[in-house]
Amino acid sequence: MSYILSITTLACINMIAVLGLAIFTGFTGLFSFGHAAFMGIGAYVSAILTYYYDVPFFLALACGVAASSAASLIIGVPTLRARLRSDYFAIAILGFGEALRVILENLSITNGARGLPGIAPYTTLPVVLLCLGLCVIVARNFLRSRYGAACIAVREDPVAAEMSGIHLFRTRLLSLALSAAYCGLSGGLLAHYLSFIQPVMFTLVQSTQILAAVIAGGLGSISGPLVASFLFVALPEALRVAQMWRLVAYGLILVLIMLFRPQGLLGHQEISRLFKRPAGEGH
Amino acid sequence: MFLQTLFTGLSVGGIYALMAVGYSLIFSILNFSNFAHGSVIMLGAYMGLGLASKFGLKLGFVVAGAMAGGGLLAVLNERLAYRKLRHRNAPSLYLMISAMGCSVFLENMVYVTIGSRFYAFPEFFTRRVVTFLGSSVSVMDLFALAFSLLAIGALGLFLARSRTGIAIRAGVCDMTMCSLMGVDTDRLVALVFLLAGALGGLAGTFMGVRYLVYPTMGWITNKAYIAAVIGGLGSLLGAIVGGVILGVVETFISAYVSSILRDVFSFTILIALLVCMPNGLFGKSMEERV
Amino acid sequence: MRRALAVLSCIALLATAAQAAEDLIKVGHTVSLTGGASMWGQSEKNALELLIGKINESGGVLGKKIVLISYDNRNDPVESVNVARRLINDGVVAVIGPAQSGNAIATAPILERAKIPMIVTTATNPYVTIDKDTGKVRPFAFRPCFIDPFQGTVAAQFAYTDLGAKKAAILYDVGSDYGQWLAKYFEEAFTAKGGEVVAKEAFRSEELDYRAQLGKIKGLSPDVLFLPTTQKEAAMAARQARDLGITATFLGTDNWGSPDLIDLGGSAIDGGYFVNLTDLSDPDIQDFVAEYRVVYGKDPVLPNPVMAGDAIYMLVDAIKRAGSTDGTALAKALEETRDLPVVSGKITVNPEDHNPLNKPAVIQKVDTKARAFVFVKKYEPGD
Repeated sequence: MSYILSITTLACINMIAVLGLAIFTGFTGLFSFGHAAFMGIGAYVSAILTYYYDVPFFLALACGVAASSAASLIIGVPTLRARLRSDYFAIAILGFGEALRVILENLSITNGARGLPGIAPYTTLPVVLLCLGLCVIVARNFLRSRYGAACIAVREDPVAAEMSGIHLFRTRLLSLALSAAYCGLSGGLLAHYLSFIQPVMFTLVQSTQILAAVIAGGLGSISGPLVASFLFVALPEALRVAQMWRLVAYGLILVLIMLFRPQGLLGHQEISRLFKRPAGEGH
Repeated sequence: MFLQTLFTGLSVGGIYALMAVGYSLIFSILNFSNFAHGSVIMLGAYMGLGLASKFGLKLGFVVAGAMAGGGLLAVLNERLAYRKLRHRNAPSLYLMISAMGCSVFLENMVYVTIGSRFYAFPEFFTRRVVTFLGSSVSVMDLFALAFSLLAIGALGLFLARSRTGIAIRAGVCDMTMCSLMGVDTDRLVALVFLLAGALGGLAGTFMGVRYLVYPTMGWITNKAYIAAVIGGLGSLLGAIVGGVILGVVETFISAYVSSILRDVFSFTILIALLVCMPNGLFGKSMEERV
Repeated sequence: MRRALAVLSCIALLATAAQAAEDLIKVGHTVSLTGGASMWGQSEKNALELLIGKINESGGVLGKKIVLISYDNRNDPVESVNVARRLINDGVVAVIGPAQSGNAIATAPILERAKIPMIVTTATNPYVTIDKDTGKVRPFAFRPCFIDPFQGTVAAQFAYTDLGAKKAAILYDVGSDYGQWLAKYFEEAFTAKGGEVVAKEAFRSEELDYRAQLGKIKGLSPDVLFLPTTQKEAAMAARQARDLGITATFLGTDNWGSPDLIDLGGSAIDGGYFVNLTDLSDPDIQDFVAEYRVVYGKDPVLPNPVMAGDAIYMLVDAIKRAGSTDGTALAKALEETRDLPVVSGKITVNPEDHNPLNKPAVIQKVDTKARAFVFVKKYEPGD
C-alpha cells in the first residue's frame, strides 16, 4: 500500500511541473528544453533553507517558488526581448539549464555534484494533493482570465495579437514566470520527498520527460498533460518496466504522437468535455 | 602553453564544426532543428566501431563505412519521422518534437540493446604524436583535420557546381518554387539528409576514435547546436566558424580560467551573442521573427 | 477515448501483488549491473549467489533459508535511493552494497531511518560510516573494506618510496566524493613525506576531454600523475596525457581495477600502477577464486566479489549472534564482530567507526600485453 502511495505522490509532484510547462508551451506556444532547471532551483533553494537554516517547510517552498520565478526572469528578459525565434529560444533555454547545473555543481552550499542527502521528508501525499489542487485552480483561473486569453492569442498568431494591442514580451514573460513558479514548487516538493537531490536530476533528460507529457497530453489542455503525466509515472511502475525501456517508450511516443495524433490525448479540450454528452455529437 | 592550448582548441573545435555543418545543412533546407542529428552521430560511431573491431578494417574503410551508414540512417530518419509531417505542412515545432523523440528513442535503444559499456576503437597509428613548435599534435587529429577539410570541401564544391547542388540551393531559397520548377522535393530532402548523415557519421567516428563510444555520446551535439547557432543557423560557413570559435574559446577558458565553470562561460557567451545578433554571425535574417 | 482513458487509469492504479509470506530471510543487494561499474557488479552478484547457495545448503541461518534480492542501481545515486526504498518495501533484513561511495552516502540516511543495516562492499570514503555533519558514526552503516585515508597514504608512500617521485600532479573528478577526498588524502600524505604536489586539476563528471588541464600539468613536469578516478576516466587521461607528451608514471586507486581499463586505455595505460583491495594471487582468497572459477567458468572481477563475500559472512554471523533479524539487534551484533573468518581472511569491526581493523592494501601494475594486473607489493596498516 505504501508503494502505491509513493508512486501516486511522485506522479502528483510530476503533474505540477507538467502543468507549469503546459501553461508555457501548450498555451503560449513557446518550446522549452530547460524547465527542469527551474525545478532544480526550487528544489535546492527550499532544501537549503530547511536543511541548514531550519526554515518551516511551507515558507521554504514559497522561497523556492519565488527563486524559480526570479531565475526565469534572468533568462526570459534578454531572450524574449530579443524576440528570438523558437529554435534559438529553445537552445538558449537549454543552455541556461546546463549552465545552472554547472553552477549548482560548484557551490559548496549545495554540496556540489555529489548531491545533498538527508533532507527532511516533509512531503506527504496530502501536502502534494493540496498543492496540486491549488495549482490546477490557479491555472484554470489564469487561463480563463484576460492574461490567459492573451497567451493563447500569442500562441495562435503573434503578429495579429500584437496588432490587437497585446504586449508580446510582457505576456510571454508572465507565462514563463508562472510556469517556472510551478516547476519550482514541484522541485521543492520533490526534494523533500526523495530526501536527496543532485544537480544531474534536473537536466535536459528530465526537461524532455516533462515536455513529452505535455505533448502527449495535448497542447492547449490542462487535464490532458495531467493525465499523460500520471500515466507516464504510474504505468511503468505498475508494469514493473525497467527504467531504460521507459525512456525508449517516451521517445517512441513523442514521434508517434506527432505523426498520427498531434493533438495528443486531449488537445485543446478538457477532460470534462468527455463526460458531457451534447446531443448528437461524438468526439 | 598558449600554442598547445590553441592546438587543443582547434582539435575540439574541428569536431564541433563537423557536427554543426550537418545540423545547419538540414536547418537550411527544412528550417527546423534536427535534434536527432546527435543520434546519427552516435550510431555512426558505433557503426565505425563495429567495422573496426569485428572486421578489423583500416581507418580509411572504417570512415567510409561510417559515412555510408550515417547517411542511410539519416535518410531513414527523415522518411519515417519527418516526411509525413512535411507533407502535412506541419509547423516546425512538430518536426522539432518528433526529432527530440527520435533522439531519445535511438539513444535508449542502444542503451538497452548494445548496453551502456564504454568501448574504445583499436589503435590505428603506432606513432601517436608529432611535435610542432614545441607542442604536441596527435596524428589522429591531423588525419581528422585532413579528412574533414576534404569532406567539407567536397560538399561545398558539390553545392556550388553540380546540378543537384544548385537544386539544393534553390530549395533552400524557396522550396515551393523549386518544386514548381520540376524538382522532386522528396528526393531533394532525402539527399540533403544523406549528406548531413554522412558528415554526422564521419564526426561520430572521429569522436569515437579520439574518446570512447557510448550511448550518450550524442549529447555533445548540444555543443554543435550552439556552434551552429553562433555561426548562424542555415549557414554552412557559419557552422564551421562557429564550431572552431566555440572550441577554441572553450579550451582557453578551461585552461586559463576554470575547467569546471567552462560551460557557464560558454552559455553566457551564447546568450550574449544571441541577444546582440539574433541571427548569429552569418545567419539569414528573418523578416518575421516574432 | 473515454473507455481507453478509464482502462489505462485502472491499470495504472493496480498494485503489485504482495509477496506470499514465507519463512525466508531476505537480504537486499543494491548493485551496479549496468553502467561503467557493471563488470564488478555482475561479479558481486555471482559471488553472493554462490556463497548464499552454500550457506543455504548447510542449513541456512536460524533454520531459515536466505534469499537474495538484487536491484540494479545503475551506478547512480538517485536510482540507489529508489532501490533502497524498494528494498525496504520488500522487507529485507539488511542491505549489501552499494559499491560506490557516492551511492552509499546517498543510501545511508534512507536505510538508517528504516533501521536496516547496510554493509557496503567497496565504498571506501570515510563518510559512508561517519556522518560528515555530526561527526558521529552512522549506527546502521558498516563496511568490510579499507578506507580512503589509508588508500591515499599507501598511494603516496608507493609514489615517494618505490617510484622515487618528488613531484606529483593530481587530476580528479570534482563531482565524485571518492575522487575528491582521495585527492586530498594523497596530497596530504605526499607532502608530509617531503614530496611536492605541483598541480591539482579537476574535471566535471562525465567529461572525457582533459587536454586543457593536462596541458597545464605538462608544463610543470611531474614525476607521477595521480588519477583517483574510474577506469574509463583513467584510460582517457592516460591516452591524452601521452598524446600531449607527458612522460609521468600513472598512479591510480581501486576504481581502476575493472578489466576494461586495458581495453579502453591501450598502450597508454601500460605500466601504470594502482592501489587495490586484493589481488588474484592473494593466498587468503584462493579457495574462493577456485570455487568461483568452477561455477562461473571465469575469474571473479576483483575486489568486489571478495568484499561482498565478506559482507554476507559478517551478516550471517551477526544474525546468529543476535538470534534475530531485528535491525537494531543486528547493528549491535555487527559492531561486535571479532576475528570472524571471511573470504579475505579475518575481520574485526571497530565499534567506533564501523570500519574493519587492519585491512591490507595491494599495489598492482597494468600489463597491457598480458591483459592482466600484476601484483607488485602489499601494504599492512602500520607500514
